[in-house]
Amino acid sequence: MSPLEIGLYIFIALMALFASGMPIAFALGAVSVAALLFTEGTSSLDILGETFFAGLNSFTLVSIPMFILMGAAVASSPAGKDLYEALDRWLNRVPGGLVLSNLGACSIFAALSGSSPATCAAIGKMGIPEMRQRGYPAEIATGSIAAGGTLGILIPPSITMIVYGIATETSIGRLFIAGILPGLLLTGLFMLWSIYSCWRQGLSLKSMADRYSWKQKFEVLPRVLPFMAIIAGILYVLYGGVATPSEAAGVGALFCLVLVVVIYRMFRAKPIISMFRDTAKESVMIMMIIAASELFAFTLSLTFVTQSIAEWISMLDVNRWVLMAMINAFLLVAGFFLPPVAVILMTAPILLPIILQAGFDPYWFAVILTINMEIGLITPPVGLNLYVINGIAPDIRLQTILRGSLPYVMCMVLAIVILCIFPGIVTWLPTALMGPAL
Amino acid sequence: QDMTLKASHQFPGGKGDARDEMVQILAKEIEAADVGLKVQVYPGQSLYKAREQWGALTKGQLDFTSFPLDYASGRVPQFSVTLMPGLVRNHDRAKRLNDSPFMEDIKALIEENGAMVIADAWLSGAFASKSNCITSPESISGQVTRAAGPAFEQMLVGAGASIASMPSSEIYTGMQTGVLDAANTSSGSFVSYRLFEQVKCLTAPGENALWFMYEPLLVSMDTWNKLNDEQKAAVLAAGQKAEEYFDSQARDLDARMVDTFKQAGVEITEMSPEDYEQWLAIAKETSYKEFANVDGGQELIEKALAVD
Amino acid sequence: MTIFIRAVEAASRLCGLASMVLLAAAVIVVSEMVFVRYVLGHSTIWQTEFVIYSIIASTFIGAPYVLLLHGHVGVDLLPNALPRGPARLMNIVASLIALAFCALVAWTSGHFWYEAFSRGWTTETVWKIPLWIPLLPLPLGMIMTCLQYVVQIMKPVEPTQPEAFSG
Ligand code: NA
Ligand code: NA
Repeated sequence: MSPLEIGLYIFIALMALFASGMPIAFALGAVSVAALLFTEGTSSLDILGETFFAGLNSFTLVSIPMFILMGAAVASSPAGKDLYEALDRWLNRVPGGLVLSNLGACSIFAALSGSSPATCAAIGKMGIPEMRQRGYPAEIATGSIAAGGTLGILIPPSITMIVYGIATETSIGRLFIAGILPGLLLTGLFMLWSIYSCWRQGLSLKSMADRYSWKQKFEVLPRVLPFMAIIAGILYVLYGGVATPSEAAGVGALFCLVLVVVIYRMFRAKPIISMFRDTAKESVMIMMIIAASELFAFTLSLTFVTQSIAEWISMLDVNRWVLMAMINAFLLVAGFFLPPVAVILMTAPILLPIILQAGFDPYWFAVILTINMEIGLITPPVGLNLYVINGIAPDIRLQTILRGSLPYVMCMVLAIVILCIFPGIVTWLPTALMGPAL
Repeated sequence: QDMTLKASHQFPGGKGDARDEMVQILAKEIEAADVGLKVQVYPGQSLYKAREQWGALTKGQLDFTSFPLDYASGRVPQFSVTLMPGLVRNHDRAKRLNDSPFMEDIKALIEENGAMVIADAWLSGAFASKSNCITSPESISGQVTRAAGPAFEQMLVGAGASIASMPSSEIYTGMQTGVLDAANTSSGSFVSYRLFEQVKCLTAPGENALWFMYEPLLVSMDTWNKLNDEQKAAVLAAGQKAEEYFDSQARDLDARMVDTFKQAGVEITEMSPEDYEQWLAIAKETSYKEFANVDGGQELIEKALAVD
Repeated sequence: MTIFIRAVEAASRLCGLASMVLLAAAVIVVSEMVFVRYVLGHSTIWQTEFVIYSIIASTFIGAPYVLLLHGHVGVDLLPNALPRGPARLMNIVASLIALAFCALVAWTSGHFWYEAFSRGWTTETVWKIPLWIPLLPLPLGMIMTCLQYVVQIMKPVEPTQPEAFSG
């Protein structure tokens, strides 16, 4: 059997197991084991345990649970609410002000959290009821939060960037920095659309906004500034390369925990345990997917599927932008069904050599890939952010949320086009701060 | 029907890395011998991670590998001696070492554990610092140093340096940001990670090199026992070719490093025999002493030092 | 039967707690390492390894607990669309396949653990800890995940929306 045929059977088996609703980690693992047994025989199981263990044996991966913990510490304390309040008080005079402050809060929280649904949940819990109470239509309230939440994986820190960095052996600090300007671009596009749609719907903004005095504007700051300082500190550490991402994540998580406990006087065990439970739940799930993906990647490489697909695509000899469009379409479809971490781990080892051969920058591609994954988070059939919103506001129908987030999907597509025309938006900042890539 | 064998290593593929070339030569020569064998090369950890290769090899899941033997020292503690300060000294002596009773012992251990050497290779390495030239042990005192291998870490601590463990790929940023003052790694890594942009002075291997690492081409014992005599002969001949190629390259790797660093305006120095003896004295008190706790450790060191 | 279910679920919760403690330990040790290395400028010998192994342990030991919470994300489009009977059947088949995989990993990693234990393997660092210690959580966690799967097959479960997050 040729490697491409083996690849096809693996793909079909994987789709069948995914469709059954089995956890992604175990589906990846089961397909890998079946393929190994089929192609190599039972002796290949001798090293199964070692391979599964080795998949997680990396200091870089340590940063994932720690960045999740950092986000959870802020999300499960009143810190998120204060962050939100502060932005509201400062932005409420702008058209669509409350939507904008929600988007702003999403992008700031994204700088504290590595994951999108966590960002969506943290801001949505406060933002959605608040917007609806002040008369914003459900469509705008939910759509903006669903979309704003996706910034969690573009604005550093980002779990998907960490996973991409490991899978492709690129610098994680550099990937993080590469995500900053595109993250701001996307935030800007989201905001522009929100202003336009609020204006078009004739929302009278004065009646929807409370007026805040300067005193009120300043009194929220002291509780927010420490977290802003942590964000700034982490960015400094990463761009300066002062410490590794894992060290930055560990210290960042500890600082956030201590700040939350001190500022909000959370001295009881219960809220702290609940932070750790939220973290464990998300991190165990992601780390299990990573371990299983390692086994999956090993299987594809051993059976020569990875190498054959890459070779096959390079022999197609298409125009590099046609190739990029094809890859984007493929990633979009994969993102419709699967969470970002799984898509990146399964495809990055295959796609990266193709991308490099076609003369694309691996850091630029990481950003394009990430925006594709963001789209997947707010589109059916499996959009994790949509579920999160649904959980926060169960009375709003899924169609309404979808209708609300569709324009933001368009913003993301526009962002991809802009980044294709001006790749410098991605590559300029890392080069300016860290010098040319090695 | 040809039997397809798997060869794996951790270095970049197709980019002229001498160790990748060794494996490619092995594969090419074995196939050219036309004895019913094909070799599929998996470069750059695209199959097994660097440290996983030993387990896969000795369990018969991997057929060939270019492997830094010290990576398996957790399983065969005696292998630490192949990344031990001051045991090799220079390329000429490395060649004499290969045919000594010392290496006979090492190769017997490798075979006992399920693998066999088909080509010898000793890689040399260098020291470099951002502040001064590393020559005598005092010259590194107080500097935060990244060392390749636990035995080197023990010796450097003995010389008054403090240690930061990190993969060689992180040395550049470590130096850039002031986390590291000095580093020790292989000549190849010094060039490929562009460390000449960061350091002030490089201590080239020369005639008195402290750092040598044994990185042979290995074949799995399981695989070996499956081959017929003709195939075995072809594998050994191919290994011989690979070893000859590496021999011709080993000094070039050092020369290329020195040239690159010179061009970047980095000061170049070497250790004097006196410096070398001082380091050896420290190594005897630290890493050798530690290694003597290993079964047969003391004897191995004595045998290595006895080689002329 | 209910005693079995209760015992396994209690053990899974205990695993969850252990997973959280290991995570907290990793955070504290990473911070201590940063302090020792960057502020005091001293050598850091054992911290990197400790942190890696506690995160690995936290993951594998936490796996049965996250399964109990239905936190392992899957694509539940089809199960949610099917009528209850076929959905339940598919859930059982899927659970059996996952169970088989976990059992294989438990068996092979258990074998690997025993090899490391009986031959006295260590890690290849200055710290040189016995390899069986960091290896132990993998077979333990997988055995517990298998048991939790058995419970899940015995106990009819309503298909749930994943509230889990996935970056
Ligand atoms: Na983020
Ligand atoms: Na989707």
